[in-house]
Amino acid sequence: MRSRFISTVRKFRRQQWLVVAMFLLIAGFTAFKAVHMARKVIYWQAHSDEPIHGWMNVGYVAHSYRVPPYVLYQALGLPKQQPNKRPLRQIANMQHRSMDEIKSVLQNAIIHARPPYPPPLPDQNSDQEASP
Amino acid sequence: MSLTDQLLAAFLLYGMPALFGVTMFSSIGAPLPASLMLVAAGSFVEQGEMKLWPVIIVASTASVLGDLIGYGVARWVGRRLVKRISRKIGGEAKIKKTEALAKRWGGPGIFFSRWLVTPLGPWLNVTSGIADYPWRHFILWDVLGEVLWVVLYVMLGYIFSERVQSIAEVLGNLAWVILGFIVAVILGWKIMQYLRSQNSVNA
Repeated sequence: MRSRFISTVRKFRRQQWLVVAMFLLIAGFTAFKAVHMARKVIYWQAHSDEPIHGWMNVGYVAHSYRVPPYVLYQALGLPKQQPNKRPLRQIANMQHRSMDEIKSVLQNAIIHARPPYPPPLPDQNSDQEASP
Repeated sequence: MSLTDQLLAAFLLYGMPALFGVTMFSSIGAPLPASLMLVAAGSFVEQGEMKLWPVIIVASTASVLGDLIGYGVARWVGRRLVKRISRKIGGEAKIKKTEALAKRWGGPGIFFSRWLVTPLGPWLNVTSGIADYPWRHFILWDVLGEVLWVVLYVMLGYIFSERVQSIAEVLGNLAWVILGFIVAVILGWKIMQYLRSQNSVNA
């Protein structure tokens, strides 16, 4: 049985080898994607927080990290009365700061808004400045 | 700033027009982050920043329109081109065979490529158009599949509203894993079939 199988494989022409190569290539690609996906899911289970990206707005980051939005508005020096829909990248450009700087400001504010730290109180002055 | 970041930022700023444009061009075949945008839309619905029905209606309409553009161009332009080429270099019998195959399996293929094996979607629009798949059947399967895709992804964004980026990355990988698995099984089955037939000839 085994020798018959080997003799059949030895008789493979270019067309058959091409199909085998395609099979191996696709199986390898599928395995790579499956491993990548499994790693993502494992990382996701281990880390409850999603990395901050430039497209996110302050509201989404606050929602994702489960902190009150005013904490993040305050940390970025933004008025909190009107929800700011601008993405973080645009806020970074407006404030002439790098995206990494914005991320570290937000992460620092998030750390200090979560236990064991009590969240900072809403800043009354920034409200008054923001109101028309 | 990556294209994905720019488009998602545009979605935050402009809302529905950005969702419509990205979903439509993605259905035509442009490599745009429509799935991530739908999951993000689900999250914004959950946060009360957007309303569910406009998101579903706009995204479904845009994706169906994009598919129809791909199908229409392939049917009225691509088909003529393929016929002209096949008249010159041969292969008309193969085109007839492909047409028969598309008529037999086209419906389920169109339906599953809309929401399960999404990387195949734009390709199936083109092959369905070239193979002259009946347009009424195309629209039926297309609408069913696209509405299911939109509802499924928006609902996943709604449920996992705190993890938009992560869920979209997992879904993107999952679509490729399913597609790769199907193709690998078909090729593996073909190889086994060939080996068996050769063994029986040798025996």
